[in-house]
Amino acid sequence: MAKYGMAFDYKLCINCHACEVACKEENGILLGADKHRLWIGESEPVGDFYNLARDKGGFLQHQCQQCENAPCLKACPNDAIYRDENGIIQLYESKCDLSLNCMDACPYDARYVDEKKHITDKCIFCSDTRLSRGETTTACQITCPAKVRIFGDLDDENSEISKILSQREYFTLKPEKGTEPKLFYLV
Amino acid sequence: MKKIEISRRKFLQGSVALCVYATSSPATIIPKKTTKTTITEATNIPYLCNMCRNKCAGFARVEDGVVTKLNPNQYFPKSRNMLCPKGNAGIDAIYDKDRLKYPLIRIGKRGDGKYKRVTWDEANEHIKDKLVKIFNEQKDNRSTLAYCNGEGFNKNEYIKFFGGKIGSANFLDEGSICLNTKLGATILTIGDIGEPDIAGSDFVIMAGANRYESLITPDSIDMIKADKQKLVVIEPRCTVTAIKADEWLAINPGTDLALCLAMIYITLKDELYNKEYVKKQFDDFDKLKEHILKNNYTSTWAESKTNIPAKKIEKLTKDFFTASRPLFYLGRRSVWAKNDFQFRRAMVLINALAGSINTKGGIIFGKPLKLPNEEINQPFYSNAQGRFDLDGIVYGSSKAGSWLNFREKLLNGSAPYPVKAMFIRKHNLMQNMPNIKKTKKMLEMMDLIVVLDTMPSDTAMMADVILPECTYLEREDMVVSFNRLEPSLALRNQVLKPLYESKSMQDILKGLGQKLTIPLFELSMKHDEELQESIEEMGKLEAFEDGGYNLSELYKQDISTRNKILISKTFGEKAYTSLKEKGVWYPNMEKYHKEVFNNSYVYYPEDRKFYTVNKKYRVKCHIDKLNKHGYDAMPTWRDSYDFKVPDKSFRLITGRYVMFTQSATANNIMLRDIMKTNHIWINNTVAKNLNIIEGDRVEVKSNIGKVEILAYPTNKIAPSVVFFSHGFGSNSDELEQAFGNGANDNQLIEDKMENIYGCAVMNETDVQIRKIRT
Ligand code: SF4
Ligand code: SF4
Ligand code: SF4
Repeated sequence: MAKYGMAFDYKLCINCHACEVACKEENGILLGADKHRLWIGESEPVGDFYNLARDKGGFLQHQCQQCENAPCLKACPNDAIYRDENGIIQLYESKCDLSLNCMDACPYDARYVDEKKHITDKCIFCSDTRLSRGETTTACQITCPAKVRIFGDLDDENSEISKILSQREYFTLKPEKGTEPKLFYLV
Repeated sequence: MKKIEISRRKFLQGSVALCVYATSSPATIIPKKTTKTTITEATNIPYLCNMCRNKCAGFARVEDGVVTKLNPNQYFPKSRNMLCPKGNAGIDAIYDKDRLKYPLIRIGKRGDGKYKRVTWDEANEHIKDKLVKIFNEQKDNRSTLAYCNGEGFNKNEYIKFFGGKIGSANFLDEGSICLNTKLGATILTIGDIGEPDIAGSDFVIMAGANRYESLITPDSIDMIKADKQKLVVIEPRCTVTAIKADEWLAINPGTDLALCLAMIYITLKDELYNKEYVKKQFDDFDKLKEHILKNNYTSTWAESKTNIPAKKIEKLTKDFFTASRPLFYLGRRSVWAKNDFQFRRAMVLINALAGSINTKGGIIFGKPLKLPNEEINQPFYSNAQGRFDLDGIVYGSSKAGSWLNFREKLLNGSAPYPVKAMFIRKHNLMQNMPNIKKTKKMLEMMDLIVVLDTMPSDTAMMADVILPECTYLEREDMVVSFNRLEPSLALRNQVLKPLYESKSMQDILKGLGQKLTIPLFELSMKHDEELQESIEEMGKLEAFEDGGYNLSELYKQDISTRNKILISKTFGEKAYTSLKEKGVWYPNMEKYHKEVFNNSYVYYPEDRKFYTVNKKYRVKCHIDKLNKHGYDAMPTWRDSYDFKVPDKSFRLITGRYVMFTQSATANNIMLRDIMKTNHIWINNTVAKNLNIIEGDRVEVKSNIGKVEILAYPTNKIAPSVVFFSHGFGSNSDELEQAFGNGANDNQLIEDKMENIYGCAVMNETDVQIRKIRT
């Protein structure tokens, strides 16, 4: 029993795509550029070449926010989506009939269609791969050159993620949607 | 609150060069079988990566004989517990379906890709027959065989075989199309190549290097992690490194030397330099001072050359020289302009003027761990002639040669003797050097081309014999010593047995050596008078053994035995065990190696790092030898260095993305997934005038060739400049992913050479662009 979350020291990100490849290799994600559990949002410099406004913190990590109040879970007509004992939003694969209501409901665009398995797939914190064999890091976290990603148990006050969240300010994405995300962006 | 909302779909459309829309190329992504890891028992074997030349350390997860995941190794100071995207995609290099699997002999015309599968013995027999004929025709001039290598590992052994044992003087590697001007400029100026201590610096200038975008090394990681460090990036385009910098100064391509000269001018004029250090270490400081001041390299002058505002140059110089530990990063990879040697030398001098040598935050000499050399008995061939590729080059490196000069001398007939055979190991000549047409012509002059590689590259398609080498995960290699500030040894352990019929380089050379030893010895007996004399004196058998003619001598023992003996003898049993189990060893590793936070580690305590060492060296402002050869003994601007682009033309600049730092990963299915093809960056206003929109197909033409490529109009590049990245446009249809995908920069880049190290100049070609109407 844990409550897993992830914090991002997002300004350190150099958009190297190591996390994306690591996730695909670890979790056997389909090839194809629209098939991915995580991606990096880029905000491009604006203005003309000689007066470019660059955004040093312009690379932002996106993946399932593991909402405490998950719209996808509520939207599924087949009750295929559930929250596991570690707070991770999961899917009963056999129950999913690709109605795609969850995809429409998700404010974060976190889901994509896995055409091979005929399900909607998304980040599950490597729970059926790394976590299930007792590892304490996720694939995207461990490979990151900048160590942008801090993963751990939010209920454990001694975990690195709890410590960093108590020390530094952070924001969440689209708080107005009331989804209570468990991904935190450190400022 | 921060607002960056880029949805998945937007990402698909807009993402920089990582575009995903379909190209008309025949490459299709075939769905790959999932390699999802499981919870079953697995072994984790320490290995060293080989997807680029950085050699990060990792652990390979092996389930039931299959590599299912590559994870970073936390023990290796050099790679700091990370793997880049290429490193992660190493699995797809082993399991690439297009891999070279069996020895092949050409049956069609050279270049048309028709080969037949043969046994190793048949391949070696074929090589032997051809080689004996060639050496016989050339009267045992062993240098009629040239050999080259593009892989970091096993290079010395490769040289020992073809240079030491076979006796050829003609060795070439990637140095002359890579970083030799930088290495040379540093050695000639401060007597050592040094290592930049980016982590220790509080003010870094980065010019002529792109450490976040083109490859990731400890320097990149240290820059990311160093808080309280100011980073100023000098770059003609707005790269990821530029985006992440505290300040980015857009510069005209090829004019960095002018910026450096102005910085030296300002520091001398305003006496900002470290006087104590200069007094102690500099030679000919007065000459430098006189030269720079006399030439009036003011900031206003530099503005006219570089397009960087004079005020910014003034400020940059002041900030640099008043920082506590400033570092002008010496760069790495590629020679951009004809003046590259002088540019790199000026950078070294700026560091020296600031006193940033052999000290924390500067260029450190450090203390690498020394590995003993395994001696071999080298035959002496009296008919073997010397190399010719360094003729006409001031310094040059006999460890790397000069590709452009070598090729030119063969093509224009000025080489003193013919080169008829070439052994090419993991060196993609048909992609990696300017003016591919010339490379093709050179290869067509050969009677025998043997390629050792893992992939059917464009170069492999020119071979007479292809020998499949196994990938880096299928072999143990000799232990390697890394780094100077935080030195360590690292070992590439074998993760899998070689797949198909591929072999390690050592096993390939062992087989070849056994096949060639007697016939080649007999050839020497026929042509080599000195050998004939020794045979008369001591008899055939003794002359053979004494002379070291057994070509396979080094391979009497296998690599793991050699490693065990060498490591245990020099560093002790414990070091060997650590290298086998953790892949890494350095003195006191168990004590020093500690996790700090979130999978970041320290490797050495501060007071045990080799920031400053006892070493005698001088900073040389004036190099007489350069003068004697008609070149500048001190960095000097010449009119021919001015940045000028003819009307309706653009300066083509090249670069690399971390997914495709070298063309070797061109066919990697996972990396192609991230970056499907390359695009040409065109200034957005210019593109608008030319009626070019994103995704348009354009023709790009230079004096030596033309390519077709998709357009990417952007505000991140100057109006007079265009850019596209290296590593694309393969011509080999054996590469399903890479074939015909994108464009190859070297089809356009003209072969221009700088004469100090004989390096190819990459950014001095002008091109014209035309939209292709469809
Ligand atoms: S691995 Fe780290 S630095 Fe690279 S893109 Fe992912 S989060 Fe950013
Ligand atoms: S981010 Fe989307 S997929 Fe993830 S829990 Fe929230 S609503 Fe569901
Ligand atoms: S936590 Fe695991 S599943 Fe989620 S994005 Fe990272 S690597 Fe992929």
